[in-house]
Amino acid sequence: MIRFIRQTGILCLLMISTCLYGAAPAITVSGTVTDKVSGDPLPGVSVRVKDTQTGAVTDAKGHFRLDVPGSASVLVISFTGYATQEITVGNRSSLLITLETSSSSLDEVVVIGYGKQRKGDVTSAVASVKRDDFVKGYARDAGQLIQGKVAGLAVVTSSGDPNATTQISLRGNSTLMSTTEPLVLIDGIPGALNTVPPEDIESVDVLKDGSAAAIYGTRGTNGVVLITTRKKSARPATINYDGYVSVQTIARKMEFLDAEDYRRLIREGFFVPTADEKYDYGTSTDWLKEITHTPVSHTHNLSLQGGNGQTNYVATINYRQWEGLFKRSKNEQLTGRADINHSMLDGKLKMNLNVIARNRVYFSAPNYAYIYRQAIIRNPTDSVYDYAGKWKEDPNGYFYDNPVRPIYEVDGESRVSETRYNGNVVFTPVRDLNIKLLLSSVKSSSVTGYFETFDHKASETSRRKGYASRGTSIVRDNMMELTGDYSRSVQRHKFTVLGGYSYQDVTFEGFSMYNSDFPTELYTYNRLQSGDQLRLQTQGEVGSGMSSYKNNHKLAGFFGRLNYAWDDRYLLMLSVRHEGSSKFGRNYKWGTFPAISAGWRISKESFLAGSGFVNDMKLRAGFGVTGTVPTDPYLSLISLNYDGASRFLYNGTWVQPLVPVRNPNPDLRWEKKEEYNAGLDFALWKSRINGSIDLYQRDTRDMLYNFPVPVPPNLFGSTIANAGRMRNRGVEVLLNYDIIRTKDFGLTSNITWSYNKNTLLSISNDLYKTTNDFFFAGHTGEPIQLTTHRVQVGQPIGDFYGYKSIDIDENGKWIIEGEDGKPKPIGEAQPNDRKVLGNGIPKHTAGWNLAFRYKRLDLSVNMRGQFDYQILNFQRLYYENPTIKQYNMLKTAFHNVYGKRQLDNPLAYVSYYIEDGDHWKVDNVTLGYNLDLGAASYLKQARVYASALNLLVITGYKGIDPEVNRLGLDPGNDSRDKYPTTRTFTLGINFTF
Amino acid sequence: MRTIYLTAALTILFCGCTNLEEDVYDQVLETSFEATENDLPSVIAPAYTVMRNLYIGWQGNFDLQEESADAIVTPERPNGWYDAGTYQRMHWHEWPSNQWQPQNLWNNCFAGINNVNRIISQIEAGTIPVTSGKENVIAELKAVRAFYYSVLVDTHGNVPIVSDFNNAELPMQSTRQQVYDFVEKELLDNMELLSTEVSKATYGRLNKWTAKAVLARHYLNAQVYTGTPQWDKCIAACDDIIGSNKYILEANYKTSFLTNNENSKEIIFAVPYDEVFATQNSIHRKTLATAHINVLNLAAPMWGGNCAVPQFINTYDPDDTRLKDTWIMGPQYSVTTGALILTYTKNVPSIEETGFFDGYRIGKYEIKPGASGGLSNDYPIFRYADVLMMKAECLLRKGLANDAALLVTEVRQRAFATTNAAKATVTGAQLQQGSIYEYGYWQPNGTVADPEGGADIQYGRFFDELGWEFAAEGHRRMDMIRFGVFSRKTWFNHRPKNDGKTRSLFPIPQEELDKNPNLDQNGDYK
Repeated sequence: MIRFIRQTGILCLLMISTCLYGAAPAITVSGTVTDKVSGDPLPGVSVRVKDTQTGAVTDAKGHFRLDVPGSASVLVISFTGYATQEITVGNRSSLLITLETSSSSLDEVVVIGYGKQRKGDVTSAVASVKRDDFVKGYARDAGQLIQGKVAGLAVVTSSGDPNATTQISLRGNSTLMSTTEPLVLIDGIPGALNTVPPEDIESVDVLKDGSAAAIYGTRGTNGVVLITTRKKSARPATINYDGYVSVQTIARKMEFLDAEDYRRLIREGFFVPTADEKYDYGTSTDWLKEITHTPVSHTHNLSLQGGNGQTNYVATINYRQWEGLFKRSKNEQLTGRADINHSMLDGKLKMNLNVIARNRVYFSAPNYAYIYRQAIIRNPTDSVYDYAGKWKEDPNGYFYDNPVRPIYEVDGESRVSETRYNGNVVFTPVRDLNIKLLLSSVKSSSVTGYFETFDHKASETSRRKGYASRGTSIVRDNMMELTGDYSRSVQRHKFTVLGGYSYQDVTFEGFSMYNSDFPTELYTYNRLQSGDQLRLQTQGEVGSGMSSYKNNHKLAGFFGRLNYAWDDRYLLMLSVRHEGSSKFGRNYKWGTFPAISAGWRISKESFLAGSGFVNDMKLRAGFGVTGTVPTDPYLSLISLNYDGASRFLYNGTWVQPLVPVRNPNPDLRWEKKEEYNAGLDFALWKSRINGSIDLYQRDTRDMLYNFPVPVPPNLFGSTIANAGRMRNRGVEVLLNYDIIRTKDFGLTSNITWSYNKNTLLSISNDLYKTTNDFFFAGHTGEPIQLTTHRVQVGQPIGDFYGYKSIDIDENGKWIIEGEDGKPKPIGEAQPNDRKVLGNGIPKHTAGWNLAFRYKRLDLSVNMRGQFDYQILNFQRLYYENPTIKQYNMLKTAFHNVYGKRQLDNPLAYVSYYIEDGDHWKVDNVTLGYNLDLGAASYLKQARVYASALNLLVITGYKGIDPEVNRLGLDPGNDSRDKYPTTRTFTLGINFTF
Repeated sequence: MRTIYLTAALTILFCGCTNLEEDVYDQVLETSFEATENDLPSVIAPAYTVMRNLYIGWQGNFDLQEESADAIVTPERPNGWYDAGTYQRMHWHEWPSNQWQPQNLWNNCFAGINNVNRIISQIEAGTIPVTSGKENVIAELKAVRAFYYSVLVDTHGNVPIVSDFNNAELPMQSTRQQVYDFVEKELLDNMELLSTEVSKATYGRLNKWTAKAVLARHYLNAQVYTGTPQWDKCIAACDDIIGSNKYILEANYKTSFLTNNENSKEIIFAVPYDEVFATQNSIHRKTLATAHINVLNLAAPMWGGNCAVPQFINTYDPDDTRLKDTWIMGPQYSVTTGALILTYTKNVPSIEETGFFDGYRIGKYEIKPGASGGLSNDYPIFRYADVLMMKAECLLRKGLANDAALLVTEVRQRAFATTNAAKATVTGAQLQQGSIYEYGYWQPNGTVADPEGGADIQYGRFFDELGWEFAAEGHRRMDMIRFGVFSRKTWFNHRPKNDGKTRSLFPIPQEELDKNPNLDQNGDYK
């Protein structure tokens, strides 16, 4: 089928091309276009005769030649990133044109869906962060580059795990079930934030509102992040090297009892040694230290670019070796990218070929979250080894293991490789008509191996000689897109039409296997057949087994867009996407996603034109519909599976039951989001102050959720169905201020602020009416075993729900506030005494970035904060309780509760552990220096910098880091296995040859 | 001309590439599954496999019947077992409507009932071809459904009766009497179509004798369920089973609880488990202390939770070998080295604070040395001893105490055969005495405060006999209710509520009340 598309696509291109042809000349002008500052020639610059379709593009030396109607003709010279100029030809036949980089942000070009637009023409909420404005220094992925730079985009950096990516969400949670992560496109191809190394990214553009994202239909609900990789720039061939090395230190950790505290508490009679539990094992061990080290990481990026007006290339090689906080954890990645452009037939046919290959290797072996938990709860008087040099373990231990042992008694490696091929052909039969065929094929595969030695704890408890597993998975994502766009200006009318078709086919498949009882440790995971359990089967599925899977989904869409501008003053955008997904029920596969937006450039009106203060001002408003697809395919189908693990004894033989997989829902359909957005863009006072304000309301309807349904008549207690509505309303403000702008001295400030209010409007279910308008979410885990959140109609997502502790009685037991508002001992608590105890989603998110420049020295400070939300501090919930004596506890467990006395209550989920999370982070401070190279140097640019990440947190929160998970239905739960946060210091250089 | 080509090309392009059919690889679609008669075992399997979770799955019916009763308790230990107070609430009869154990039972029973309804509808619609013996298959499935309802009538009482898979309406609630009648009618209506065979082919399946045993237990508790006793009907059902001569009392009590207890001729109906193919029997993991793995070289971690209530242990006659056949007591030595690993003591200080090795552990089900997470022992639901004791109880309650005593003596004989054979004999008069269970509040030091004793319990001695014979078989709550002990007595750290609510039915799960407005909460929980 893809081949068929290719053939017909090209056929279409050819046919459209022959239908149309160009116009006739009078006089000839030629000229050269150069950069005003560097004097370098600028290739690829568009030179056009105003109000006509006649034009040319400069060659590699910046030359152009053009036939114009007469001497009164006006040439419009435009180029990405530069201010557009208009020049009257007059009697000159040779022109020298110098272009200045655009000073007004409204002249910047931003990437929108399926194209680019001048920022001044944009009518929806689109944020753009260019390379120069990226967060400097150690950046995990594209998410960290724009952290705190885009109003309404929350970027949360997770743990000290070198394999983790950042978590991003836009304008709050607008879906219950699917991911809330935006669609990420790398040069138009779906990918992830870490698909290309941050060093190789040119710009990141974010389509925030529905009117902008609707062109992406079903995938656009959470917004769209468009990542543009570095392209051949105007300069001649260069080599660029970026490199940095960084170290991490623990910034904040929870304070647990140490060995001395234990001994003191034994003396004080708190710990009473018994035969089962001695409490003092005679040594002193800092368990956290035993499992961590000081990670050193380095990153190198080399990019090469060159070519001429016809053919040019960018090639990049990126290597990173990152260590994690825990011993043996590492992540090594090599990424290569080649981007080749070729232009032929006088620029009528342009081809682009882009290949990205990424190989990542990491130590996949131990479960560090479990190891970390074991380290913090382990008795600090105990030792790593016993007298015989063997791992020390507690025979009565119950989920209480030596944390060092699993780090060293395993071997494991995961290799992930991703290859992305994409190519496009742009055919321009006549000026301003572009027909583009884009084909992409992404293949991502992983191979994992894992081995537990004979001396691993699991080998001991399961009485086996070692355990090994291997697994592999492959994702194939093929996409084809055919688009055509045509732009035309007739007098003051300017319009662009775009039409297109897109088809995507994604297949996931994989298999894994495991075996145990090996004759030797030497094979590790490389010779699984030598394990005995596969043949003996005495341990059933625990000892050996295998599994495989394969699934597929498809997405097809037709889309169109019209942009219209009158006199650059009144702007209009209309778009529609008609899209189908295989994941939905037979009758609901297709959906239509329209959008409209309009803008008014007030600054072009006579009453503001020429105003010295208002350089640019634009009012815009839009409406757009986007959709959400559930993550899993086949949900609408009636499926059955054979269950090999829980069999039926039939006449002495264990046969596999054929069991239903789910409650089917043949009416499964789109979750739709309707979004209104109004905004104001402005540039004031010689554009020294610029920014934008946006207001939005997003309503999600037919919301997908795994809704509880009654049993009977249903087979399972929940069905994935379209029910429910949710609303998000908010404000976003972006303000840039060039405070000082002189030759030697510069100071700029960039502030973002956003506010979001979320309300669940309904969870009425078209399958059944529920008697209650709420359900529960989130879980405390063992041993408390309670839900943490309630999702209720009329309330926001993220409400903590449990007993409200207000006091402590003379026996150290909690006093809670009952349903009637009166105090009540916790022993008498009933389910209906539970209350809303706070909310885990920050209402306000702010960022403040300062950039300071003095001659060749520059300093940037990035700060951000979140306000008005609560966090359930699991570390205190589990470890700030002096009754749990078998595990180590926080020093604060001995503090008086409510100023009265020590707690003497079993573990309980009460509001005492819910804290305000408000915080202000000084996240990144970078100091850089550009070396003075002198004119003769072969080195064109050289810069050194030092940066510190996560420098300072100002907060009242008692946990490790107030920046916690804000996605899903249980935001604000700060896991008890949360790693200590780290502070990263980086030293880097950047050379251009 | 070009326009025509263009239109044609675009038409082909767009029509050809809007295919959104789902390509399914790793699931069986109902639409593409063409069943043959050979698929019948796999198709009917889900009607039965649910029983494994229902009985000794995590917090299943075993826990529901034992944790709420006076023989087994799960106290808080150094390694946990507080679990938000769930075991303490079971012991104190303070379960709220969102208590997991009764909710699990509801979900499991209705999963089984829904599966039965689905399979029946498939067979009746012809999607699963059954050419011969179709009525027998459907009769068996209906008997399985009645079995699930016989559990629900005991635990939740007022539950919806659903029998048509194609009816997607929200079901209405039935009264306990209606559910009782439904179970009786369904079993009687289908009885003659059930297999009379007792063989490998009917093991773990609902044959005629199992259906009679379900009916017998149903009638035995009829007075509790409906207010009207059915002693004669119970005796008749028991007599049918006895008269079939298909089952015996095994000479050795242990035979019915061995790893390979499928060979026991005493078992009428058991839920089959297997260490490889059906691994949900983790009864040993819940009871044995973590360190016990070194006694039996076990290949999975033990969790060390539940144990015997010491007052219950005190009721045993020291010569009754069922004591050592049911409980793991005292010092435990490694099976390989003979070294002392740990010692279980009888006393359990308190449900709120207990050591690792306090309390005797459940040893009724043989734990094979080297066993891993799942045992292969099948879980007996009905033994022949059960039939004899049900009949004996009915006779006793009908005033035929001496006839009852003969049956009880028959059951007791093997328990005293190797110690003091004379002690096996009981008399009708003895059976009419009270219980020797020392009811009262257990103190940490092993004494009983506020002693109540058991002398006031009518047929208390017979009630004790049930305890010794069926300890740790998930009978105790049902028996305590029938003998009027459940909501009246004090045992271990449990005190009676004396608030006019018997709590002999569990609450309808809150989650289901929330989802189905036709359901009304049981009276004790309003």
